[in-house]
Amino acid sequence: MNRRDFLKQTSALTIGGILFPSALFTACRKENFFEDVTYDGKVIIIGAGAAGLYAAYILKSKGIDFQILEASSTYGGRLGKLTGFANFPIDTGAQWLHGENSVLGDLIKSSKTKITRDDSETKFWFNNKLIDALPQNTNIFEGEELPDISYEAYALQNGLGNEYKYIIENIAGDQGAAASHLSVYGNNKDEENWSAGDDDFKFEETFFDLIDKEIASQVKDQILINTIITKIDYSQSEIKLTDSNNNTFNANKVIITVPISILKSGDIQFIPALPIEKTTAFSKIGMDAGMKVFLKFSNKFFDQNIIGGSVCAAYADDRIGKAQNDNILLAFIMGNQAEYLTSLGSDVAITAALLQELDLMYNGQATASFIASHVENWTTNPFVKGAYSYSTVGMGDARKTASQALSEKLYFAGEAMNTNGHHQTVHGAVETGYREVMNILTDIKK
Amino acid sequence: MKLIVLSFILLINLGFASAQEFQIDASYTYLYSKQWDKAIQTYNVSRPWLTEKQPLLIHGFNGSLSYIFNSVEAVNHGINLSYTFVRSSAASDNIENNLYLHFLTVGYLLHYQRNEKLRGIYTDLIVSAKLSGLYRTINGEPFVYSETYSNAFGIGGDIRLKLGYYIPLKNTMYLSPFISSACTPYLYSPNSEAVINQTKGLTSNPWTALLTNQIGLTFHLK
Repeated sequence: MNRRDFLKQTSALTIGGILFPSALFTACRKENFFEDVTYDGKVIIIGAGAAGLYAAYILKSKGIDFQILEASSTYGGRLGKLTGFANFPIDTGAQWLHGENSVLGDLIKSSKTKITRDDSETKFWFNNKLIDALPQNTNIFEGEELPDISYEAYALQNGLGNEYKYIIENIAGDQGAAASHLSVYGNNKDEENWSAGDDDFKFEETFFDLIDKEIASQVKDQILINTIITKIDYSQSEIKLTDSNNNTFNANKVIITVPISILKSGDIQFIPALPIEKTTAFSKIGMDAGMKVFLKFSNKFFDQNIIGGSVCAAYADDRIGKAQNDNILLAFIMGNQAEYLTSLGSDVAITAALLQELDLMYNGQATASFIASHVENWTTNPFVKGAYSYSTVGMGDARKTASQALSEKLYFAGEAMNTNGHHQTVHGAVETGYREVMNILTDIKK
Repeated sequence: MKLIVLSFILLINLGFASAQEFQIDASYTYLYSKQWDKAIQTYNVSRPWLTEKQPLLIHGFNGSLSYIFNSVEAVNHGINLSYTFVRSSAASDNIENNLYLHFLTVGYLLHYQRNEKLRGIYTDLIVSAKLSGLYRTINGEPFVYSETYSNAFGIGGDIRLKLGYYIPLKNTMYLSPFISSACTPYLYSPNSEAVINQTKGLTSNPWTALLTNQIGLTFHLK
């Protein structure tokens, strides 16, 4: 190698071996998206349900000042716990963990919370008989190129006639909807995005206990209960919130986690008014009536699941996954059936209607062994007004529009604001809680 | 296994039999992916109870085989097969989380060397198709994000520049330290967020861009 070649190669090696990788490694410098954000402002969270509590938990972990304003007299939102009715605690709200591959699945593993896969068996009330399997396949609501029509209409198109009416009501009821309202296309799209796993789980204690012990306990001291926000003025740099007693609260950013029914009904006045696209999007997201009735019996005469009743399309043995064994049957009532039972006007009348149906199914054994009932009507709860959100016919991208933040001041969370197929679930609500905190952190960092 | 051994022997014989060149690389790999970094950081921020945060997918190793059809010209061409493995592991209370990332690239290689004596600097430019598989276990169990899927597969294209320096060993054998950098402008992997952060579409796009830097050694057989 002559001197010239030596110099050439040494130069090339210097450039290639030092400058080239240095430049590349500099280009690959890891960006810290959320860790190095500091914020002196205050965040107010409206609603102490799963989304609000989790948003607060993340804010606390980031050292950001926050307060939760809750309209009702307790926290938990559509999660609740009933004790003393049976010899095991009862979930009056959400009770199934739908799939364990989620942030809550991780929390359950981390906290060693006891859950049991719900493998309970199903009987169908069909043509006034309890049977093990239906004559026709009802699994028609998944697949390619499904039409944007209701479950009810699509079932009829596919030859599932009137005798399947309450079977279809049950399928739609799982989504918290009446079969005449739920979109085949929309719900199928939601299912395609599902990534939490396909098994359902029940808690030995309650779902409420998980949220209470692991999340609410971290932020309880910052919850102000019985605070019904009626007005949000975000016209100035500081947001002013007013409650039903004319108390005011100031914040720099607000996370709104109230149910979609509250946003749709206009219970909260926004100044300036929300954009028309936003309110239109709210109106397109469905939320039907929903209630749970717990029936206590002296004998266990019922099956683990009974599907297809005309009064209640889904009954479930509530003892599944519990350590104790009082005979509690859950009537899980959604959509038109919940509206009808609500119209009866009293818990006694609701219970009587359910017992009458169960007597028909089990030859009078229901009334004979009936001890007590507990009615949890989420429809008449003024701060919930229904069950949970679902995809209506013609809904399109309404959830995305509804969930977008406004002016870097108002952020929208809660199960209805979950845009990735996990709405209707507690883990879906939790996801929106941390999503909006991250959106806030991102906005702060700008 | 027999097939792999036979293929290896065949390639070595081909190397001895003509002016062709056979290369085996082993290297440390540094990975940069903004989308996946964001998804992992989201995972960490969204789970304040984790006692050990999930490390980003950064460090891994690479093994690569190249076959250059003719090594006597200044510019030659050949084929390249490359495998990269990157792992991220965190053990918090009662929850041990592992992410395993595999890349496989198959590409066309342009090889430039100073002269036929195989001394000094050489450069490889490799254009490849890239496949990825992102896999996760929680407490030793595979994470299954849908009815059947536990792997988030990806597909994209990759361009890699490699710079090495020949050191003769004996006869037809050479060793070369090298550095290389690969850019993957687009890797379509729609389920990667489902694997990393157990959700979809929350913070990440269904695709990511990647930069991969490597430093290692190549064994050459001419």
